[in-house]
Amino acid sequence: MIADLVQNTLDGLSAGATYALLALGFTLIFGVLRRANLSFGPAIMFGCYAATWTHVNFGAGLLLLALITVSGAVLAGAYVERLCFAPHRGGSAIAAMVASFALWMQFEELATLIMPRHLYAFPLLYEGDPLALGPFTLRIDALAMLGAALAACLALWWTLYRTRFGLAVRALIEQPAAAALAGINVPWVFVRVFALASAIGGVAGYLVVASHGQITPMLGMWATLKGLLAMMLGGLGSLPGAVIGGLALGLIEAHTQWYLGPQMRDLIAYLLLFVLLAARVPWMTTRSAS
Amino acid sequence: MDDYAIGVLTNIALFSFIALSAYLLLIAGEMSFGQQAFFGVGAYAGGILTTLYAWPLPLAALAAMALGAVAQFLVALPTLRLRGLHFAMATLAAAEMARILFELMHWRREIDGELAGPDGTQGFRGIRWIFEHGIEPLHYLGIVGVLLALVLALFLMIERSKLGATLRGVGLDPELAASVGIDVQRIKLGVAAAAGALAALGGVLYAHHNTYIEPRNFDIMLGVHSLAYALIGGLGTAFGPLLGVLLDIGALESTRVFHGYRMIVFGGLVALVLVYRPRGLLDERTVQWLRQRFS
Amino acid sequence: MAKAALLLIVLALPLLAQAQTPEAQLRCESTGQDFVYDCTLMLTRFGRPLEGAQVTVGADMPSMPMAHSVRPARARPGLKPGEYKARLDLEMLGEWAIKLRLDGPVRDLLVLHYEFDSKGAMPRKR
Repeated sequence: MIADLVQNTLDGLSAGATYALLALGFTLIFGVLRRANLSFGPAIMFGCYAATWTHVNFGAGLLLLALITVSGAVLAGAYVERLCFAPHRGGSAIAAMVASFALWMQFEELATLIMPRHLYAFPLLYEGDPLALGPFTLRIDALAMLGAALAACLALWWTLYRTRFGLAVRALIEQPAAAALAGINVPWVFVRVFALASAIGGVAGYLVVASHGQITPMLGMWATLKGLLAMMLGGLGSLPGAVIGGLALGLIEAHTQWYLGPQMRDLIAYLLLFVLLAARVPWMTTRSAS
Repeated sequence: MDDYAIGVLTNIALFSFIALSAYLLLIAGEMSFGQQAFFGVGAYAGGILTTLYAWPLPLAALAAMALGAVAQFLVALPTLRLRGLHFAMATLAAAEMARILFELMHWRREIDGELAGPDGTQGFRGIRWIFEHGIEPLHYLGIVGVLLALVLALFLMIERSKLGATLRGVGLDPELAASVGIDVQRIKLGVAAAAGALAALGGVLYAHHNTYIEPRNFDIMLGVHSLAYALIGGLGTAFGPLLGVLLDIGALESTRVFHGYRMIVFGGLVALVLVYRPRGLLDERTVQWLRQRFS
Repeated sequence: MAKAALLLIVLALPLLAQAQTPEAQLRCESTGQDFVYDCTLMLTRFGRPLEGAQVTVGADMPSMPMAHSVRPARARPGLKPGEYKARLDLEMLGEWAIKLRLDGPVRDLLVLHYEFDSKGAMPRKR
């Protein structure tokens, strides 16, 4: 019993690490732009498919694939930013979000056109046996995911708290009106925040695909759903909240799946979100969409 | 009219119901990612009633609409004071819960020696009321078309009435509406119930057209598509969502011009149009202009 | 005589209670052209091949209902009894719900699920 609990917690934390990264990406965009980017997952998927294409046609090492994934995600993210968010800055939030959904459809069809098969193999992060620590097994790739997620968080923290750009981002998140008045070049920050968020998303996407060893076109929707869910659970617009929300989602999923199966796992996650939203729990409504 | 044209037109008409339901919520100021759930509720309820309990389709459709209205009302009640992304995520959560419930639903009865009814992820096959009553596809298209026309007529009547102005007022500025004495909460609940009934009507008609439904039919893609059609078509008139559906399923899809990359084209089109027309092609300004030109 | 009649009735009862829905099996091969498949349909009823039916083959994608407009194809009779051939022009790879409309001696509607890849189609258990 205890063994199950600990094992599930370990698994949940490693899945939660990816969710945390996804949530961080969403939160960066939401915190600064006050809009949700429905193409976040699909842009990540674009990067992952770019890497898959490279691997299928040329074969490539893990590091190169990771770089391609992140670059692809950033490129796709820039496209989304230009077409969906830059034109509606200060305008209709609904138009921006629906436009981002429209681009989601583009990315999905593009993926199926360039890589028509439903499933492609992706090089695994680690091919060996899991570590045995007494009664628990620790998958090496789960450790790698946790490590990479931690590294990404540290890099993000450094960017936000040790650079001028980061200061501008935090100012825009906390006090948007004052920040604009203080002379911060808002559009410049938006573009870079988008790139940063996409890069983090790319890392998350790479970790997911490399740990599962395969990629399907469902990745786009999956990443968007998990990222949104984790972001909302942790409190909309709060960066530490995103990390907590992601880890919490991972833990909740791991435990409910163990005891109740995959359908109940999803049902409970959505139920939790709905209840938290309906109860208008204060941490969830700290920042509203414009 | 050949089978293909009948099929396309029926799909357009069916999709219009759920697009109109998203549109109704949009003009009342709410973005819903969850209309697919009520479409599904209508589909399952209508299918169960006609297939397992031999209800006539018109009665089953009415019951399905009532159920859809109640379902959306129950989702709207706890989320009344949510706005923007919070509301959208709540509807998404509710819709995904509904879809998972469809996956868990087993409601089987023996009909004519065979088990019929929803069977979880296996789906619900054998919804044959239309077929068994000798209704040809062309007749069914006529029925669906007439119902859609009635719905549109209702929308047009409401748009010109005080209720329509009230709805749009609530949508544009709820605080202002409340300050002039409008019961915003009651309006929102009413709109929710109406949208749920509308989506459910589309669902029951879809289920009988397709003869087979499964939980996967009612996932997020359906809901966000309906939202996109409503917005790109335009929020100025109920013909807006219809235009959105026509653009994608009618023009782009059926002409096969962009065979294989239609979604790339349509997606790009939506994003581009929204840059210049954030409230769609037939937005309020355009509709006003059209009315003045042709009055 | 009465006994024979009774025997016949008793033997016939299972037949009456049995579903009269025909069974169908589909085999599809890619024609090389993008998403176009040559399909061979095998129809049986009561275990015997069903001949002389007018079959129209349509398709819809379960994950994207109403979004695709695949041109329904009239199937022509094949070489073997109960065999029908049709050419399907789909929009993309993936799982499709193939709808068979039967007219003629038997009127019915069947829905089959097949996964279409670059080579052909494989049945999906539903």
